[in-house]
Amino acid sequence: MTNWAKPFTLAVPDADVDLLRAKLELATLPHELDGAGWKYGAPLADIQRLAEYWKSTFDWRKAERSINELPQFTTDIEVDGFGSLNIHFLHQKSEVENAIPLLFVHGWPGHFLEVRKMLPYLTAGSPDHPAFHVVAPSLPGFGFSEAPSKPGFAGPQYAETFNKLMVSLGYDEYVYQGGDLGHIVGIYVANLYGHKHLKGWLSNMPMYRVPTVFSNPLIFLKLLTYPFNKSLRDQLTVANRFRTGEMGYFMVQATVPQTLGYSLADSPVGLLAWIYEKLHKAVGNYPWTEDEVLEWISIYWFSRAGPGANVRMYYELTGGNSHDLFEGTRWTSVPLGFAWFPQEPVRFPRSWAYLLGKVVFESEHEAGGHFAAFEQPEALAGDLRKMFGRGGPAYGVVPGKDGYQV
Amino acid sequence: MSEFADPYSERPFTLAVPDVELELLRKRLDLVRLPDELDGAAWHYGAARADVARLVAHWRGGFDWRAREAAINALPMFVRGVEVEGFGTLEVHYVHRRSGVEGAIPLLFVHGWPGSFLEARKLLPLLTAGSPEYPSFHVVAVSLPGFGFSEAPKKPGFAGPQYAEVFNKLMLALGYDEYVYQGGDWGHMIGVHAVHIYGHKHIKAWLTNLPIYRDPTLFTYPVYYLQKLALPITTRFNDRARIDYEKTKEWYKRGTGYYSEQATEPQTVGYSLADSPVGLLAWIYEKLVTWTDHYPWTDDEVLEWISVYWFSRAGPAAASRVYYEMTGGYAYEYWKGSERTSVPLGASYFPAELTRPPKQWLNMLGKVVFQSEHDRGGHFAAFEQPELLAGDLRKMFGKGGPAYGVVPGKDGYN
Repeated sequence: MTNWAKPFTLAVPDADVDLLRAKLELATLPHELDGAGWKYGAPLADIQRLAEYWKSTFDWRKAERSINELPQFTTDIEVDGFGSLNIHFLHQKSEVENAIPLLFVHGWPGHFLEVRKMLPYLTAGSPDHPAFHVVAPSLPGFGFSEAPSKPGFAGPQYAETFNKLMVSLGYDEYVYQGGDLGHIVGIYVANLYGHKHLKGWLSNMPMYRVPTVFSNPLIFLKLLTYPFNKSLRDQLTVANRFRTGEMGYFMVQATVPQTLGYSLADSPVGLLAWIYEKLHKAVGNYPWTEDEVLEWISIYWFSRAGPGANVRMYYELTGGNSHDLFEGTRWTSVPLGFAWFPQEPVRFPRSWAYLLGKVVFESEHEAGGHFAAFEQPEALAGDLRKMFGRGGPAYGVVPGKDGYQV
Repeated sequence: MSEFADPYSERPFTLAVPDVELELLRKRLDLVRLPDELDGAAWHYGAARADVARLVAHWRGGFDWRAREAAINALPMFVRGVEVEGFGTLEVHYVHRRSGVEGAIPLLFVHGWPGSFLEARKLLPLLTAGSPEYPSFHVVAVSLPGFGFSEAPKKPGFAGPQYAEVFNKLMLALGYDEYVYQGGDWGHMIGVHAVHIYGHKHIKAWLTNLPIYRDPTLFTYPVYYLQKLALPITTRFNDRARIDYEKTKEWYKRGTGYYSEQATEPQTVGYSLADSPVGLLAWIYEKLVTWTDHYPWTDDEVLEWISVYWFSRAGPAAASRVYYEMTGGYAYEYWKGSERTSVPLGASYFPAELTRPPKQWLNMLGKVVFQSEHDRGGHFAAFEQPELLAGDLRKMFGKGGPAYGVVPGKDGYN
């Protein structure tokens, strides 16, 4: 077992912190229509309050110190055709020696710290539930991982990066949890490394390829009953509303991420608004504090590759919106679980879930949204425990590492 | 302004950006932080970094705003209050150049996004010139509310009928009870409403350089609908039709991110546009390059264009709202509420225009009396090919043209 990982301490240079403050001092906010509320985007009052707090009150060094209490590392991963990328990750081992290795992959606009609140639940040992060794990387181009420098770094490359990361840590076989783009990357990991390395995975974002007459004729036929089938219509209405009403960011990021990048890299309030809008809309009434929001945004602002790099992922995953997110992937029999949270905005009909993989586990929750690990850590950790624990449908998938003390 | 002054009367407008604004801009440009870029990205991922960096450097260093401002002030510009039902009085900015020909045809020119009133600039000498060979026009080039130096509406719901009301009241206030209309981009898409509401009575005819409208459906236009269904096959047999079809499909798939964002979350993107000069620059400049037909932009031209947004009366974020208001937050198409009219309609086709549906479909919009096809030019036709567009107006409204004499008593000739 080789492990070349080096310990990582987050230490944003003073000059960067000063530049942020200088920009916030000059920040100019736009007007807003009377009574706009959230209809036109992030409200002025919210952004004003957050920008002011960021400038005057938010203590980045304090947040940084707290982040550095978590065990972080970097390691060089060689990706075919892309050279070496320095990947940042959190790695918290459980005291339980045979804990299940778990790869947690965030999405956009998330980050590696989304796993933070789940750590105590996941790494704790008990006869009643399994324990996990948790690896939570920053996606290339996000957080403190290097960004790829050439075009074409897509689904297979993200999967390759993370599989090699796990193997380099001695986790030849592992399980996976992800939502948002972490769900998409999970599909590629299952396709390329399923069974051999990836033994099972849990997603909290139920999204899959829409059935066509060629891919899934039976479901397609059912779709034709759409006007008359209220339940299916309701589910599709939710999915559709997201598609038309909420996809502005997706369309921009999938087609002209560089153009957007100039704004995100240059304007703290621009970046704040772009991300905060999602933090507000995609959650289930999560009571964000200013500190939570600004720590979240700061990770983007101070990210290694700069705030313009991460949005390119949408372009790369879709070929500049020339194909969908599932390009080249197929159904696999790798055990798959879905955690359903009520405020997740991307909700495809549940009855289609089996199209993605061999669904062995499903859970339905009463509360929580898109950032499930952050909003409902106990619930999501509970799902992992149920899925992979004794009596669960994916118990013992990693040979010799069932998550319990011997 | 004196409290006794009549807000509805016309006042000359002089553009005079305060020094403090110029200094603030310079301070921000000094603090610019550019993103990275992929090797060999060129323009595939959006505005190329090398171009943006060069423009930023010029903006900080060589670009002389005061010189551009002085040249803009050479245009005959005015402001006046226009009352809009339900929205109070908005101060509207416009260029008004009268021809030396007394019986010149009153013409309203309406820009779009990311355009401005300045798009009419090169047309002015061509349109207001008098000659026995072609008609002359009195030209009014308005700044859309929320753009340029027009005030923005303060409440939600300012859409097609409201913009049209501004235009019509402005023309009436100038003494042009009957007039013709030219527009592209939002100038076209709002024009659809203006003609629907004020057609015949006030708008006697119009020329569009964005000849689009609704898609045909089985029940509304069955023949066109069948034609639409057959496009994947029929376009194989006609090079020009295939190019147009592919271009249009490509546009909808890959070109409409800005539309989608501004139609749903204009305020969100507005924070970037209002706070970051380079963010605003890139957002607009990308269109200036990709929407034109190899127009040889100078850095000064680009920066002047961006500056009109940066120094706009309502701020750079206001303009984006037109997408939201005209589509109900992307709930419906911009043309909703309009109908086909028999107001004479002309169409100028420029090859690099973004979307090019079958020409016959324009019959769904109105009575097409004039069409012209050009071999060069793109979305910003008035700016890129002023001679060609002015030529179309002259042909359409001149002696022997299909819309000659539509404005009684003002045929454009001495």
